[in-house]
Amino acid sequence: MNGWWSFVVSTMPFLWQGLLMTLFIAAVVVAISLVAGVLVGICFAYGPWWARLPLRICSDILRGTPLLVVIFTSYYLLPFIGLNLQPLPAFLAAMSAFMTAHVGEITRGAIQSIAAGQTDAGKAIGLTFGQRLVYVILPQAVRRFLPPWINSVTDAVKGSSLVSLVGIVDLMLAAQQVIGRTYEPLPIYVLAAMIYFVINYSLSSLSRSLEARYAYVRD
Amino acid sequence: MAAGAAALAMSAREAAAQSAPNSTLRTVLNRGKLIVGTGSTNAPWHFEDEKGQLTGMDITIAQILARGLFDDVTKVEFVKQEPAARIPNLTTGKVDCVIQFMTVSPARAQLVNFSRPYYIEGVALLTSAKGKYKTHKELLDAGSQAKASVLQNVDADNLVHKALPQAQVMQLDTQANAIQALDSGRADAAVIDLSTVGWLVKRNPGKYLDSGFHYETQIYSVALRQSDLDWLAFVDTTLMVNMHGHQTDLYDKAFRDFFNTEPPRRVPGFPNI
Repeated sequence: MNGWWSFVVSTMPFLWQGLLMTLFIAAVVVAISLVAGVLVGICFAYGPWWARLPLRICSDILRGTPLLVVIFTSYYLLPFIGLNLQPLPAFLAAMSAFMTAHVGEITRGAIQSIAAGQTDAGKAIGLTFGQRLVYVILPQAVRRFLPPWINSVTDAVKGSSLVSLVGIVDLMLAAQQVIGRTYEPLPIYVLAAMIYFVINYSLSSLSRSLEARYAYVRD
Repeated sequence: MAAGAAALAMSAREAAAQSAPNSTLRTVLNRGKLIVGTGSTNAPWHFEDEKGQLTGMDITIAQILARGLFDDVTKVEFVKQEPAARIPNLTTGKVDCVIQFMTVSPARAQLVNFSRPYYIEGVALLTSAKGKYKTHKELLDAGSQAKASVLQNVDADNLVHKALPQAQVMQLDTQANAIQALDSGRADAAVIDLSTVGWLVKRNPGKYLDSGFHYETQIYSVALRQSDLDWLAFVDTTLMVNMHGHQTDLYDKAFRDFFNTEPPRRVPGFPNI
């Protein structure tokens, strides 16, 4: 047991570097896809047809394609049109685009689920489009946006492990590297599983408390 | 005038860099570093040591090429990749060459060029120092009593029975798990790559033994993009000098460190290379 423990401790610095990369990727993807996805969703709900059409085509293609295929397209197909991205930018671009398509749909659904009477009432008291959005529609839509969006955040953490396929060392590849050197798979896999559990359990706890916070409706 | 004088005073490296306008050789020399596709999860070929440095036989071959190009083993950048990415990363120009225990096969040679071999991998039987049977003869004599673990594969049964015709075969999903079966006493021998046996025996002398039977051969080479004769010739020449000529120090040290084997003595006279 003592030997097992010192072995686990000796592997921690390697897994720690991988964990930081996993968290960095998830954070960047969540931030980009939140901003871009909300804008796309507002455009879906209110934009003119010539803005909606190209976004609709991109969104349907991205949502209808496995993430792995989007990543390989970004990494291996773009060089043929002269855009040879490094592994990390290629992965971040692919996964952010993929997540943006999903967040855009979540936003559109949340906005369109707010009854049309709310917009009419806003118009009746003379609010501009921006004021109706900020003071009437979005505060109500955010309640319906949060639960599916937090689901997509945990998807981003789990999906980040695909980055090892383009050679970036995340938590999973860091674990594989230690196994490759030591030929001791069992303790390393247990340790990596524990770390993933801690991250995702924290996220789902956070999601529960956020949902409880916003579920309260002042009538 | 000054420009003319500078052009005349070209170094040998600059002159070489201008010989073939489209060759990867020229691209690499102008860039000032070599970009190599390799892995990081397979000792003793390509793995991170206890300090987190990439090391192994494949890494040494990359350093040998960097020395040939720049007189500096550090002028090499490694792109970590899955084995499945070896050919795509080469053909899309992500890397200058692939050095990742790549077995030469005619099917692959339709897609990439292979250099001369830098190692011939084999299969061997790893046994436990605490086990019932330690040598190949003891395993053979045990007949159907002997159990052998092996990486799951369409040809795995045949592979084991070529060495131990009567042994029971236990197929497992990774080479690491085949070794784990030996550790836990569920198998009497693990049928794994010869290089892995050498590596494990060197690292854990009291724990593992090489049963002494080596068989099967597969050729490992550097993979390069097709239609680039200058680059292929450069890699071949550099490997030849480092394996058979006057610069064998790096290759020999890696051979001892990673395969636990003394490299062959080079004999002057007829060039048997």
